[in-house]
Amino acid sequence: MRFLVNRAPDALARARPPVRAFLAFAVLLLVAGAAQRAARGALGPAGVEALYRPDGQRFGSVAAWEALHAGAFLYGFLLLTLGSLLAASPASPRLRGGLLAVSTAGALLDLGAPLLPALGPGFPGWALLHLAGFAAATLGLLAASLVAFARFGAQARRPDA
Amino acid sequence: MRDPRLAPFRWPLAAFALMLGIGAAGAAVLFVRKIGLSPEAVRAFYLGSEAAFRRPRSLEGLLEVAVPHLLAVPLTLLVTAHLVGFAAVLRPRPLALFSGVAFGSALAGIAAGFGIRFLWPGLAWLKIAAFAGFEATLLAWMALLLALFRGAPRAAGAAVPDADDPAAPREGLVARPCAGLAAASQAGGPLRGTAVATRAASPARARPPPGSPR
Repeated sequence: MRFLVNRAPDALARARPPVRAFLAFAVLLLVAGAAQRAARGALGPAGVEALYRPDGQRFGSVAAWEALHAGAFLYGFLLLTLGSLLAASPASPRLRGGLLAVSTAGALLDLGAPLLPALGPGFPGWALLHLAGFAAATLGLLAASLVAFARFGAQARRPDA
Repeated sequence: MRDPRLAPFRWPLAAFALMLGIGAAGAAVLFVRKIGLSPEAVRAFYLGSEAAFRRPRSLEGLLEVAVPHLLAVPLTLLVTAHLVGFAAVLRPRPLALFSGVAFGSALAGIAAGFGIRFLWPGLAWLKIAAFAGFEATLLAWMALLLALFRGAPRAAGAAVPDADDPAAPREGLVARPCAGLAAASQAGGPLRGTAVATRAASPARARPPPGSPR
């Protein structure tokens, strides 16, 4: 955290190789996560509905809560680390803010949409919302990783940027 | 936010705090729905129940839950405590005490499951108490993270997060432990990230004259 906040050029340059290796792993994680969902057949509305089986459960299915519990940990760390690395990179504040906003909103939809049927039986379109959220979060985090990979440590940024 | 250099990290921190809260809420719901909030329900979950046609938990099943939590929980607490300590929102002793309570309740919660199953069913109370304590500390950590970027006032003499900084002043300089980045920036000095401020004006603020109102 300190080297990110201080942003001394030499410290950022020293940190660049491990940070880029970490970002490569983050990309792998996101791609593997999408592949895992595809393997479970959860990249289509029918597969998602079969996975969470929300019907008849008053407070949402246990599977949906388990996915929310584990997903919040994963998304929380990715948003914190990628957002912080982006903040220390010479990228425009608008780009950084946009990527973080899209990723966070997508993550919230991804985690929360399977619980929507608990609000009303047959809540329409929750599976599509879930898939859209997952796509937005994954693409936003992938883009954040790639921007940080390209820009982190490239040059010192102004402290107030 | 008191330190302008922390401003770019405001939204990543907010997103992390939000996800921390969501994860804690998910844990609470899962605890209530899968285990239950009474000692009898906790015992039935771990020891099995003929009435509910439930078998006792196996060692493999317990480890399947414990292993990811033994990674995720300390990592989350470490990062959160690090962020809160870095910005010196708490004094060192409350920070250490609070960290101890959080880590202790997490460990007790994880160990209690094994204890109920293999040692003594009476530990069901410990499981419930540890979970409640851990959830409470998680909520408090979340509040501290939010206070961190809302610029909550910092107590004088708070943590010295950058004490190992080679840029810190050495002999001959009047050093005062203060709040690292936040205090350095507040003192109006160059933003170098050192936690030991050497400002001439500092002692007056750090130690008010005897009898003066605090």
